[in-house]
Amino acid sequence: MSETENESQEIVNNDLNSNDSKTLVIGSGVRMEGKIDGAMNSDIAGTFNGKIKSDSINVSQTGVFNGDITGSDINISGKVEGTIDSDEQLNINQSADIKGTIEYTSLKVSYGARVQGRIQHKGVVHSFNNVEEHVYNNNLEEDVPNESNEDNI
Amino acid sequence: MSIFGNKEKEQNSSEEKFTFPHASEDQVNQSTLAQDIQIHGSVEAKDYINFDGSITGTIKAKTVNLGRSSYVKGSVTADQITVEGEVDGDIQGKDVYIKSSAKIKGTIRYSNIDIQDGSIINADLTIS
Repeated sequence: MSETENESQEIVNNDLNSNDSKTLVIGSGVRMEGKIDGAMNSDIAGTFNGKIKSDSINVSQTGVFNGDITGSDINISGKVEGTIDSDEQLNINQSADIKGTIEYTSLKVSYGARVQGRIQHKGVVHSFNNVEEHVYNNNLEEDVPNESNEDNI
Repeated sequence: MSIFGNKEKEQNSSEEKFTFPHASEDQVNQSTLAQDIQIHGSVEAKDYINFDGSITGTIKAKTVNLGRSSYVKGSVTADQITVEGEVDGDIQGKDVYIKSSAKIKGTIRYSNIDIQDGSIINADLTIS
């Protein structure tokens, strides 16, 4: 009795996961190719070749990704070859192995992670609304250090 | 010159290498270069350099700590490097720690790296 109860519970849980809107899960051992867009949360534990655009992306320890990753919050624990573009937070965990180009806004790399390639900070993302404001900011000081100070605090 | 040289050779014929008078093997030498120091050239140490000034040139040591007000244009080579300031150039170390206040432009060659949130990095990374 207890075993069947457990099984049914698991099925319910699985249903819940797959019914979450805009959620993508590529399980470990699954190979996939192509282009993914419109997802909110993506979890890649299998192998994916292609492009992905999602709000939050997690490449877990068993995950292998070849291609382009674009998102806001990105967590990498697996292997990535290609480009990573993050608008908010990019976390590269200890088990990660990355080759390629990284564009980031906020980056954390844990000791032990392997990262090879180019890392680029996105700098001032917001553009100035008008020239006056731009000139005003320039007169105060250079705008880039101002931005960094805000980030630090 | 030659007279002094001869005298030294006579006195310490067994010791060929010059050693600092207070440097023993278990003692760690720490050097601190403060904020108002400006260097054009190279700084080298056997052990530890705590650098807060600005330098155009190279820093070499076993452990280099680049403080918040530090500015390096050139290269930094050490076993362990901690960056809290600005570096424009090459960083080469076994363990490289990049703190949130750091700004780095150039190249980083490392065995292990740790990067904190908030740091601004525009660099090419290679693993040695």
